[in-house]
Amino acid sequence: MKKNFAAVLAAALMMFAAPARADVDGAKAEAFVKNVTTQGIEQIINANVSQAEKDARFAKLFNEALDLDFIGQFVLGRNWRTATPEQRKEFIKVYRQLNVSTWSKRFDEFKGKEFIFSGTTPSSSKGQIFVNSTVPMDQGEPAKVVWRVRDKNGNMKIVDIIIENVSLAITARNEYAAFIKNNPGGVDALIANLKSKI
Amino acid sequence: MNVCKKLAQNLVLVLLVLFSASCAFDGRIHRSEAEADPFESINRPIFEFNYQFDKYILKPLAKGYRAITNQFIRERIHGIITNIKEPISMVNHLLQADPKATVVSLNRFVINSTLGLAGMFDVADGWGLKKEETGFNATLAHWCIKDGPYIVLPFWGPSTPRATVGLIADGFANPVYWATLNDANVRDKIIYSYAAVSSVSMREAALDIGDDLERNSVDFYATMRSAYLQNQSKLRCFNDDGSAGQTYDFDFGIEEEDAAFDEMEEE
Repeated sequence: MKKNFAAVLAAALMMFAAPARADVDGAKAEAFVKNVTTQGIEQIINANVSQAEKDARFAKLFNEALDLDFIGQFVLGRNWRTATPEQRKEFIKVYRQLNVSTWSKRFDEFKGKEFIFSGTTPSSSKGQIFVNSTVPMDQGEPAKVVWRVRDKNGNMKIVDIIIENVSLAITARNEYAAFIKNNPGGVDALIANLKSKI
Repeated sequence: MNVCKKLAQNLVLVLLVLFSASCAFDGRIHRSEAEADPFESINRPIFEFNYQFDKYILKPLAKGYRAITNQFIRERIHGIITNIKEPISMVNHLLQADPKATVVSLNRFVINSTLGLAGMFDVADGWGLKKEETGFNATLAHWCIKDGPYIVLPFWGPSTPRATVGLIADGFANPVYWATLNDANVRDKIIYSYAAVSSVSMREAALDIGDDLERNSVDFYATMRSAYLQNQSKLRCFNDDGSAGQTYDFDFGIEEEDAAFDEMEEE
């Protein structure tokens, strides 16, 4: 009887001790992001190749490292649910192109720099974790950059980048929501507007 | 001068009204941005005015400043301005009951003002005295005072009533103000020069990122509002143990999308 009680107690304790969600391996997530930034800086930005080759390498790295389908869906918010399959596909495509071209233009800012990683922070979302880092700036303090990583069956992808407390996903989401609200053209108008920026 | 006084009095009154209005807003991290911006119809025109002012005056000045200086000189000027503001951080670290940070700020100010040649070089940083900037807005947040609705100040930009009070209080804590109190004539000149130099220097530093943001934005007002409000939400009340998690740690999962949307978009 006593033994049974102890076993039940132990089981109960273990249930409490066990995290409510499947935790992401912090070390693995950090290594993943570190690898992405190192690749980006060493093999693309600092590499001695043509700009076209840099852009091509970057597009590949970007698509491998970031889960744009996931991000695009979040960014479109409630409008995702009302969008047609064609609109969804087109939006993700345009959003992907826009991000690739935007970041390609920013290469010079990261020339000769290195991200310094400082561990991870748990997330309340399932299978996700924050990887903390800083990057030196030309002027003033280093910038705080946090990477939101999603672990989908052992396959890691970046789903958000938070620069100085500002999440790119939340900003885009709010911006697009405001645009759609003030624009009778809705999602189609948004896609057209984004296309004009690529 | 009389006009200034009257203006200041009116401003304080307006802020008080906004402040009390802000009590009606709760401090939910994920309050929707439309909820945080009840004065959007007034804010948008002011934002547009600031945008034009920036486009035709401030931005060209910042570009000119970049053209006639090099990185080295700009860093030295940035250093001087940063050093002048160090006492603001010091006072506010004290008000936030953080004696260690207060002493670090004090030491930084003494060391960088002397050995660092008026702040041109951050000598203290090399000695392990890291800069930790803070202001009265952060102090008010520390005392659990809510930020209130989003407002756009003419010439200045995104703010909240709390941030505006912080801005004014920081102005009084700025050595440029109190070190020149004796002579009103000299003071005005110094204050205006300081304001001009620091805004151009700040604008220059933000030239590239500002252009990028604007180029990619489909609604620049909404972009700036979102970025500002997210950045403000890092300021926490002293008894907030952080159990609410990081402010950007909203429910980011497609499985839970309906719940997340309902939470974020209650309007």
